[in-house]
Amino acid sequence: MTQLGREIAADYAGREPLLVAALKASMIFAADLSRSIPIVHQIDFIELAGYDGAATGGHQQIRLLKDLDMPIAGRHVVIVEDVVDTGLTLNYLCRTLGLRNPASLAVATLLDRPYRRLVDELPVRYVGFTVPDELFVGYGFDLDERYRNLPDLHVLRA
Amino acid sequence: MSEAVATFFRVPSELPAFQAFRGETAPSFANQAELECAKILDYYGVPWQYEPTTFVLAEDADGRCLEGFTPDFYLPDQDLYVEITVMKQTLVTKKNRKLRKLRERYPDVRIKLFYKRDIERLAQRYRLELAS
Repeated sequence: MTQLGREIAADYAGREPLLVAALKASMIFAADLSRSIPIVHQIDFIELAGYDGAATGGHQQIRLLKDLDMPIAGRHVVIVEDVVDTGLTLNYLCRTLGLRNPASLAVATLLDRPYRRLVDELPVRYVGFTVPDELFVGYGFDLDERYRNLPDLHVLRA
Repeated sequence: MSEAVATFFRVPSELPAFQAFRGETAPSFANQAELECAKILDYYGVPWQYEPTTFVLAEDADGRCLEGFTPDFYLPDQDLYVEITVMKQTLVTKKNRKLRKLRERYPDVRIKLFYKRDIERLAQRYRLELAS
């Protein structure tokens, strides 16, 4: 975390970046990352409705559940993600925020699973850990909305 | 066929009205996993086509196709083909061999194979009911 914070601070010195945390799973990572960045920056939150085959019975379009509170035009934006897997969610987020004309757009993710990526051209610049194909709970990651509060990341064994 | 396997392979007769589908003829999915993948791509607004290309892997002296491979999806914005397999890991040897041939013969073609395990992971993440 300290290393990621230093890297971001070095890259954005004098530019007051805006961290955009994608709720909910990234909230704890975002809080720790923010405290590890020793330069002035701001933080905002966004939440997308995740695909839920069970609840919807199938087909719908992605939508924002919570939009940003502040405009990002001309800002240096760092999206904070819990995990980048297929890249579908992040791709949508980058496209959506890109339309608002930020000065720059980069991504910091706690976990990365690059081997299952469907969308490659994403600005993933800061990666905590490249992880194997496991499910995680704790440190913001949930299982049916439970266990986000566990202080550490745990591999879920079925 | 067990009930679970039957559920996995059952494709509804009426398909959703896809928004990001970029093909010309309506897709005819081979199984539920393909349909769910199409719905996920559609949900996230990623343009997709279904089985638009058959790659010739082997041909006879007259140029007739002896062996071909038709990946399930093509994502034009990513220039990426995606093949979905719901076979058990131990039974994917033939598909892996085809994929190797395709990569040898068409080195510029980008393709990813999603195994049953990958589909199961996506199913967990997206709460898909692929199998009972």
